[in-house]
This record gives sequence, structure tokens and C-alpha cells, in this order.
Amino acid sequence: MTRQYEVVYIFDSALEEAAVNERLTRFNALIQQDGVEAPQMNHWGKRTLAYPIKKHETGYYVVAKFDAEAAALPEFERAIKLDEGVLRFLVVVNEGAQPVPVTAGKSEEEDDE
Amino acid sequence: MRRPQKTCGICESGVRVVDFKDERTLSRFLTERGKILPSRLSGTCARHQRQLSTAIKRARQLALLPYIKGFAG
Repeated sequence: MTRQYEVVYIFDSALEEAAVNERLTRFNALIQQDGVEAPQMNHWGKRTLAYPIKKHETGYYVVAKFDAEAAALPEFERAIKLDEGVLRFLVVVNEGAQPVPVTAGKSEEEDDE
Repeated sequence: MRRPQKTCGICESGVRVVDFKDERTLSRFLTERGKILPSRLSGTCARHQRQLSTAIKRARQLALLPYIKGFAG
């Protein structure tokens, strides 16, 4: 049965947009199933890292949320590990629906999913 | 004289599950050195303190939060 996962990729900032998208489509193909809708991508873009990772000061962040079979994950993670363009990634089981938090007063411009 | 119980910062904002991606709210529960504030100081309830600590550790792994802040390494 499929579960909801969330993955955050940190790509090498030297990669340009097209290379990042190509890698993303390749990774998504591994967990793609018929009848399951495509993962929603959320490109955060280039951000400075809190500490250098592999001698890089900045990273290109992409957050993806998707449903996948548990069996498909080891293969998926192995492919990401082999790719040098990815500095770091973190796959997390999405804990339940996230109600939109009512922020006191100020309007939150970035969507808090 | 018992101090009035501090309200939990996360419960106020109505968030049920702490999200490890918005480091702005997470950094409110860190010391200026980058260490996790104990719940007796920050007043967060036990449930949210547990979620908070895992969220902060995940955010640190993703370089959203530093392990040590202000370290002239």
C-alpha cells in the first residue's frame, strides 16, 4: 500500500536548472506508478547553507511530496546516492495531514503546507 | 509562589505537527549558540518539544540550521 513521503534534495549549485530537472524526472521515474499522481515539486532555489557541505557554500533546494510503495524506496535512494550532483537528501514519511496553521496577525506569504 | 505556567509557543500558533522545513519558527527555540532550548525555559508542552527536537535535528542535517552558530571555524 502506498504511503505519503516527503523528500528534500540539495543539489550542487553549479548545476543549472535543466540538469536539476533532468535528474528529478529520472528519480521520479523510479517511484512512478500508474494511478498515482506525479509528485508535487517545490523549488526553493539557491540558498546559502548553514555550514559548508562537501566544500559548497550554497545549494539548490528542491522539496518533493509524493505517494510511493515502500518497496520502491531502496532503489530510489540508491539512485540518488550514486548521483554526484546531489549534495544531500532526506526522505521522510509525511506524518498525516498538516492543517494550515493560523498565524497570529501577520499574513504568512510562503505557504505553510 | 508558583510562576503562572508559560503557554506553549507552538500550541498558540495552532500548528499540530512541527514542520522541519520552516527554520524561521524553529530558530525561535534555539539558543544563540544554536542549541535546543529546554522546554522548562521555552515553555513548550512535552508533545511539541519531542516533535521540535526531531524537526530541529532534521533541519540541521539539511543545513537549514547550523549545528554550532557563530563558530569562527
